Amino acid sequence: MNRLMTSLRDGIGFDTLLIFAALAYLMAFAGLPLIYNIIISFQQVDMFSLGSLFHQAVGFENYAAVFHDPLAWRVLVNTVVFTLASVFFQFTIGFAFALFFNQKFPGATWFRGLFLAGWVMPGLVVGVLWNWLLSGDFGVINYVLLSLGLISEPIFWRSDVDYSLIAVILANIWYGMPFNMILLAVGLAAIPDDLYEAAELDGANAVQRFFTITLPMMRATIGAVLALGIIFTLQQFDLFAAITSGGPAGSSTVAQYWSWQLSFREFDFGRGAVISVIMIIVVLGVSAIYVRSTRAETRL
Amino acid sequence: MNDRARNIALFAVALVLAGIYLFPLYWMYVTSLKTNSSIFAVPPEFLPGTPQWQTYALIWDEANIPRYIFNSLFIATGVTLVTAVVGSGAAYVLARYRNLWIDVALFVILMLQVLPPSLMVTPIFVAFSSVGLLDYPRIATILAISAKTMPFFVILCRAAFMTIPRELEEAALVDGNSRAGALFMVVLPLARNGILVAAILIFMQGFGEYVYSTSLIADNRLQPASIGMTNFLQPNVVTWNAIMAFAATYVTPILALFVLLQRNIVSGLTSGALK
Repeated sequence: MNRLMTSLRDGIGFDTLLIFAALAYLMAFAGLPLIYNIIISFQQVDMFSLGSLFHQAVGFENYAAVFHDPLAWRVLVNTVVFTLASVFFQFTIGFAFALFFNQKFPGATWFRGLFLAGWVMPGLVVGVLWNWLLSGDFGVINYVLLSLGLISEPIFWRSDVDYSLIAVILANIWYGMPFNMILLAVGLAAIPDDLYEAAELDGANAVQRFFTITLPMMRATIGAVLALGIIFTLQQFDLFAAITSGGPAGSSTVAQYWSWQLSFREFDFGRGAVISVIMIIVVLGVSAIYVRSTRAETRL
Repeated sequence: MNDRARNIALFAVALVLAGIYLFPLYWMYVTSLKTNSSIFAVPPEFLPGTPQWQTYALIWDEANIPRYIFNSLFIATGVTLVTAVVGSGAAYVLARYRNLWIDVALFVILMLQVLPPSLMVTPIFVAFSSVGLLDYPRIATILAISAKTMPFFVILCRAAFMTIPRELEEAALVDGNSRAGALFMVVLPLARNGILVAAILIFMQGFGEYVYSTSLIADNRLQPASIGMTNFLQPNVVTWNAIMAFAATYVTPILALFVLLQRNIVSGLTSGALK
């Protein structure tokens, strides 16, 4: 007993206690729910059976129901389109901005920091702002597009099945771009200036310098930013809730929103859990690749 | 082109880019100050006429803003406390050692950081309701959000702890401090900036959280401001000035905090996210 106390006070026991407190917490509120999620995906869980910890087992019934759902294919396509389009534009615009603010001029760093104002806002508020910006009759975006002659009649972004997903993608690009920009700016700042000077002496122009120095030197950063982009995009929920609620007719429903709808709108927690299990496997797969690759390149 | 002209040109471009990017925020404030009819003017009025400050006074009472903001603060404070108290120790240990077990723990924590709340809320809701935690919905929400914020906090704080030389802590031990004494008297004070930035980021996340709150808190009187906003968003809404006034009241404190701490947030964020 005494030795235990001494260890807790002065030895390895102290560290063990600290780390196990956090791990125990995460086990209770993340680890166990992960396992429980798999269990309830094989059970029938509705409002009436909520009170008990274990429910009637139904085998693969929930999985079959989800895969045969008429919405399933649409949701899969939407999820892929939403993720790829968001990540692509967040990344390319973020990279362009990072390159621009990497040039030395007075106030460059300060200006760059301003963009994070978008990133610190609650997702739900961002969604509500874009809901208003994209309004069909009185939205300022429609007004600008009409005045520029880019469209001939207003687009009903939120209620047109062809545009509802694009509406959420636009908001998500705005929301996620600054984070991409900041991370890429850090990578750019780490490239030694002499490399560029040497290349300039050798007669390389700006485009050549970008492709022979910037891109190769940024490989690790770019990989990390893209992986983080996918991970964050697969977490996006608030924008859907605030702009389209997944509608109309499921035209802007993505997997993470569908899972929540099945659980909390249709109160079919078993089917909600099915999608949750599948998507969690996808997210964990992407992040495992991300963690492994960053460790190899930059030692974690 | 000489340096001065180049600088002015770049500065002008930066100004335009920032102006375009921040337009949605400007539009929120301008709309909130318009009259019920001028929000629907065609073409839109880009400058407000006479500012309609009474909209703010009106929604303050009608939309129960004090109650919503209180609940948001309650949840954000709870999340920050739970996350910081439980997470700081772990971050310290993870920064102090390098071995296989630490690597495994780090890997587990990184993996838990990426779990989307909208997917985790299904098992958490079912489990919480069967063990009775949903009788205390705000506490349940705090516990659920903290499991999401803690990995992020640990990663950020670990970076802060790693900048503190081991020798300082060893000197404190030689002077007769216990491990806990050295941690509280030497290490934590030295790392306080990093911990503070991480805690502020967590607080902001808790303040704006939506998924867990809307799923776990059924009682309207206990719901935070994020849900208060969605109550406005019925189909065919017309009161956009009131909604924008609500949004402005909700995010202005966050934006003010961000402007004050911009430099710290940017550096804290970048040190944790990529290393």
